[in-house]
Amino acid sequence: MTTVATAAEPVIRVTGLQKRYGGTHAVDGVSFEVRPGTVFGLLGPNGAGKTTTVEVLEGLRTPDAGEVRVLGVDAVHHPDDLKPRIGVSLQTAALYPKLTVVEVIDLFRSFYQGGRPTAELVELMDLGEKRTTRTQDLSGGQRQRLSVALALVNDPELVFLDEPTTGMDPAARRALWEVVLNLKAEGRTVLLTTHYMEEAEVLCDRIAIMDHGRILEEGTVDELVSRRFKERAVRFDATAGLAGERLAAMPGVTSVKREDDEVLLYTRDVPATIGAVLDAFEALGREPANLGVRRATLEDVFLDLTGRALRD
Amino acid sequence: MRALLQLTVANVRSFTRDRAALFWTLAFPLIFVILFGSIFSGGNNQRSIGFADLDASPASAQLKAAFGSIDGVKLVDGTEDDLVAKMKKGEVSSVIVVPKGYGETIAAKSAPAAVKVFTDPSQAAADGATRQLVGYVLSAVNQAATGQPPAVEPAFQTIQTNDLSFISYLVPSILGMSLMQVGVFAAIPLVADRQKLILKRLQATPLRRWQLVGSNVLMRLLIALLQTAIIVGVGSAFYHVQISGSWLLIGALILLGSLSFIALGYVIASFASTEDAANGMTSAVQFPLMFLSGTFFPIDAMPDALKTVARALPLTYLGDGLRQVMVEGTPFAPLWLCFAFLAVWLVVCFGIAARFFRWQ
Repeated sequence: MTTVATAAEPVIRVTGLQKRYGGTHAVDGVSFEVRPGTVFGLLGPNGAGKTTTVEVLEGLRTPDAGEVRVLGVDAVHHPDDLKPRIGVSLQTAALYPKLTVVEVIDLFRSFYQGGRPTAELVELMDLGEKRTTRTQDLSGGQRQRLSVALALVNDPELVFLDEPTTGMDPAARRALWEVVLNLKAEGRTVLLTTHYMEEAEVLCDRIAIMDHGRILEEGTVDELVSRRFKERAVRFDATAGLAGERLAAMPGVTSVKREDDEVLLYTRDVPATIGAVLDAFEALGREPANLGVRRATLEDVFLDLTGRALRD
Repeated sequence: MRALLQLTVANVRSFTRDRAALFWTLAFPLIFVILFGSIFSGGNNQRSIGFADLDASPASAQLKAAFGSIDGVKLVDGTEDDLVAKMKKGEVSSVIVVPKGYGETIAAKSAPAAVKVFTDPSQAAADGATRQLVGYVLSAVNQAATGQPPAVEPAFQTIQTNDLSFISYLVPSILGMSLMQVGVFAAIPLVADRQKLILKRLQATPLRRWQLVGSNVLMRLLIALLQTAIIVGVGSAFYHVQISGSWLLIGALILLGSLSFIALGYVIASFASTEDAANGMTSAVQFPLMFLSGTFFPIDAMPDALKTVARALPLTYLGDGLRQVMVEGTPFAPLWLCFAFLAVWLVVCFGIAARFFRWQ
């Protein structure tokens, strides 16, 4: 039975989702909601449980526990009611290697009633020059674009994009961002997983940060940043001779983070902190390298939440 | 329905663009038919005998006519040296030389006329046959010359114990073998599609599993049909294999056989997790089937231990059934048993695949 999602009802509602593989909890009690017409991002490193979560929502995996309603449909027990209405791009583009771009799109179109014309999708995903190329001869970015085109063949209400820009060059990545923002402008809902901060900041209305199968924090980018960091950060390249305690004792500093070769001093009083940093370097007879001030980013939020950098 | 057809078209395209698949399913059986066809049907019932008539008299012409009238003998004219040279090259199996003065000697009736015969003792069968042939013809000539009627005459009748020429045996056998390959080879693209996550991606569409399996089976049946046309076509056009029997029965057997082996392909795909594993398992299944199921020689000619193995293999019954319905071959098992065995095999394989096949 199909129930139409009303404006009041979220497009996706996940409650207490759990999925174990052997002894490991791939997803360990995840709950979130996605409002219609928004772009929702699951952000986290590889192995955080993003893909497993998304695949349960797509009706591809059965969870061990939890309730999943997608477009008003119970995605666990009635996935067949859901499939005509969603579009899916898997983390790895799954394409028939010996078929051409147009043949694959035509094939997927035949699985649905109605939908968007092949030529339009080819145009949209900028695959015009590759129309008659076999998918085995496409580059990684082109494969990814074709995979997104296939997710749109049925003109879906809800689109799942699992790491859609992996393997794309910066230009292609920006072009895909444009596509996602257009989907949103057309009133569609997009659930996106990524491990690119910038992508999440540009595209997502709301973000859930995942690690080790759990959602650590959820909100808009601004909420996530300002909830943790009222301060701004003074940064400079790490140098020998400046101990952590000494940095923490500088005026205005609330916390000290070391990330690779970079030192971050979160502070309530930027000028006082910078002055203290310059004094300390002068005492050492050196100049601070790459001294700067920045607002906290999602990266900082993630680092603060997990103690690790979010890199691929 | 549109999805089923489009997916079948996609499968056919993937198949025809895969050279290895094309080779194994279409070229490989064809090579067998052509190879064995040329070896076993190449003019083996026509014998060429060189005939050098150095006399050119009415009597020698009569002798030549007597040899020429014998079934299965083709006379080749030439000089003695010429023909001996041809015999050394294997173009004629023996040479008969009628010397000059043959006619006069016969007319004189004083001494027997000599006819020189070259035979090749290293070709035992041809050598013996030529000696008998020459003896038979010359005794008839002797009788005619002396005017005495023969006291005893042989009356030859034939009873064939092996009622099939080898090529007639082979054509249905190779057809059975190819149907087996088309079916078993279903495992490889299936595992490849699963490994490439294509099966998983299809699961996220409204496509039903029966449509996916159906398109796969439909594509394999189309190939089976094409193979039947090629193998039977080549067999009857080039090697004069007569197809007798009902096409309905032939069609039913081809359908049932193909389905059984496609089901076996799905069983392989259920247990092979990578494309390489599927390749290995497919070979491990197809070669014993090929050689132990009476494809290239009759099961009756096998040692008892292998006969027992052959009795348990599905290709034995498909090949045997096809030989029975296509060329009226000697049955190894009754036809109903061939159908029944394949049907049981189909059900069992389907059950195993339904239980163990994984889509992702």
